[in-house]
Amino acid sequence: MTDFATFRGPLTPALAGELRHELRTPVNHIVGYTEMLLEDAAGPEAADRRRALGETLAATREVLALINRALPSTQATLGADVVDALFASLAAPQQRITRTVEELLAAADHDAGDTYAQDLRKILQAAARLVPARAQPAPGAPAAGGAADARPSTGPARILIVDDDEGNRDVLGRRLEREGYGTQSAEDGRRALALLAEQPFDLILLDVMMPELDGYEVLGRLKDSPATRDIPVIVISALDDMASIVRCIERGAEDFLTKPFDPVLLRARINASLEKKRLHDQELEYIRQVGRVIEAATAVEQGTYRAGTLGDMARRDDALGRLARVFDGMAAEVHAREERLRARLRELREDIGIARNSREMPVVLDGGALEVGRRFAERYDIRTTVGKGGMGTVYRAYDRELDEEVAIKTLRPELMTDQGLIERFKSEIRLARRISHRNVVRTHDFGEWRGVYYLTMEYVEGIMVRDLIDVRGPLHAPSALAIATQLADSLAVAHEQGIIHRDIKPQNLLLDADGVLKVMDFGIARLAERASALTETGLVVGTPAYMSPEQLLSEPIDGRSDLYAVGVVLYECLTGRLPFDGGSPVSLIAKVLSQEPEAPIALTPDMPPALSALIVRLLAKRPEDRVQTAAELGGLLRQIA
Amino acid sequence: MARILLVEDNEMNRDMLSRRLQRKGHDVTLAVDGREGVAMARAGAYDIILMDMSLPEIDGWAATRLLRGAPETQQVPIIALTAHAMAGDREKALEAGCDDYDTKPIELPRLLAKIDTLLARDA
Repeated sequence: MTDFATFRGPLTPALAGELRHELRTPVNHIVGYTEMLLEDAAGPEAADRRRALGETLAATREVLALINRALPSTQATLGADVVDALFASLAAPQQRITRTVEELLAAADHDAGDTYAQDLRKILQAAARLVPARAQPAPGAPAAGGAADARPSTGPARILIVDDDEGNRDVLGRRLEREGYGTQSAEDGRRALALLAEQPFDLILLDVMMPELDGYEVLGRLKDSPATRDIPVIVISALDDMASIVRCIERGAEDFLTKPFDPVLLRARINASLEKKRLHDQELEYIRQVGRVIEAATAVEQGTYRAGTLGDMARRDDALGRLARVFDGMAAEVHAREERLRARLRELREDIGIARNSREMPVVLDGGALEVGRRFAERYDIRTTVGKGGMGTVYRAYDRELDEEVAIKTLRPELMTDQGLIERFKSEIRLARRISHRNVVRTHDFGEWRGVYYLTMEYVEGIMVRDLIDVRGPLHAPSALAIATQLADSLAVAHEQGIIHRDIKPQNLLLDADGVLKVMDFGIARLAERASALTETGLVVGTPAYMSPEQLLSEPIDGRSDLYAVGVVLYECLTGRLPFDGGSPVSLIAKVLSQEPEAPIALTPDMPPALSALIVRLLAKRPEDRVQTAAELGGLLRQIA
Repeated sequence: MARILLVEDNEMNRDMLSRRLQRKGHDVTLAVDGREGVAMARAGAYDIILMDMSLPEIDGWAATRLLRGAPETQQVPIIALTAHAMAGDREKALEAGCDDYDTKPIELPRLLAKIDTLLARDA
């Protein structure tokens, strides 16, 4: 026997004959039983019944005509679409037969011994065989080509019938099964709850008056549990008073039907409830999928995202699928970019390691304001001198109060004679303290102790980019990019807060052993400028080599001036040379103001051309010709492959 | 009133047709497959046999040939019934030894007329 419910392909004459047989057999049953019932329906009181049976016969003749037309008795092979088209065409008359006979059955007494009712059921059984499951439209839905199927796409809807009356359960169960639903029955509330705990259901038909747990109680428990809350419940009860209907609706029933109910109405309500649930489920599923995208976004942030995680979602052809595809693509790009950054950082760390090992250590400095081995300001144990600049000396110290190492920078006393200047300096330090970024050395305090003005800062065990270049010579592009990217990130944060560094140069850039860049001296560059002006000997603090033209001309500056300095630092990192090299400060300044630099790629041919072009752009004389923001620069640096 | 043997494997067909024939005053005996049909036909005395063609065990054509081969059933009129109803089925049935042929769905008046004709022929 061929299963025509699943059959696909052309119909050979033998198969066509088999299908004719399969379909004409139930037609034979319907005609036979209906004609018998018609014979019995004599008398004026049976007029309605005769009319209904007449309609049934008419619909059955239509079915027969459709079968004969689609499957002619001639021996010919028929096209693959014949079966689907035939079943689709049979759906409408089949539904008319079913509906008419169901109405007759509903109006009949349900006496088990009643041949009339039995024969009606046989007609329904035969009618159900006319359209196999694959082509059977949802009950209540229009025939072929009509509205969307009301049932969940995963198979026939499963309905739980809860009723203590066996007859009711039986009638309802058989009717729903005939319509293609899967059913299960429970004889009381307790059994219903047990079944619901074991199996999924799409809908519950619930009787109210039951022993032990009544319908209200069952309803309450269903709606209290997250597992069953969303299953629609249609209450079917002999109670038709308003109070009990209201009580059920209040407890979350989807709908209410009173016994004896009209089967057509029941079908309509089941369909409406299932459709609502389907939409609700669809919404939940959608939200779940959106949740996956959010999870994936978190994973990207944490660096744990694996490309293709949303692969199944990306295959959807709706907006969510588009979102998943775009997201996956972006995530893959981010991943690749991060890989590049990690590789750059690895190379930078190697450079740092080599530089630190070969550096002649330590530079012994003395003549500072503080004495190594002594306590300063009743709080700091001075450990070593770590550097000396135009503004003063830097010490490594142990902060007894905070129990951590800090750097202390003492400021030359002659810079601190003007009270107005001190106040302005204090306010700039306050501003700089607002910057909290992993690539910025944190400034702790500004203080004065026995005539010594000092700053305390985060102590970073590391190496200056100055030393790195001096020891290693020109760096490879990955190392330089790792430095520049971090520098751009720190400037982006500072600029956003309105803080311009003014003195970006390799001496102010520290690298720790992990390759993390720390930018020093945010907020004190203005002091450095002042120190330069105050120094009679012409001591140059903040060499003009890194200063933008507008800064050299003492014009108003903004963040783009810092970006110029980044260009110089990058140039030097990659070529080992400054873009402009003058013998004296005056000739240097003249070149900065008037000459175009040689493209770095001319000196270091193996660097990425895009990087060389970017550096030239940063060194533009006019700020408006440079990259405009540090954030934009960070993005451009990350894109360089 | 005729004594009719209905050989039919489909329960609903058996139920429906036997009841309809009984309502018309016939005496109907049932067989559920070809083998049982042949055995019952040879054992009993029937005026006419209604033979479904698509039967398990022995199909309607084979059963008809067997009945035609047996002296006690050689003369019993046989009407072939089929829902298959493809071109050539009628010839095939007559060739096998059936006296007439009818298709399902059964049109009762037409079938009754055929039964009457055959009974009158043999009367």
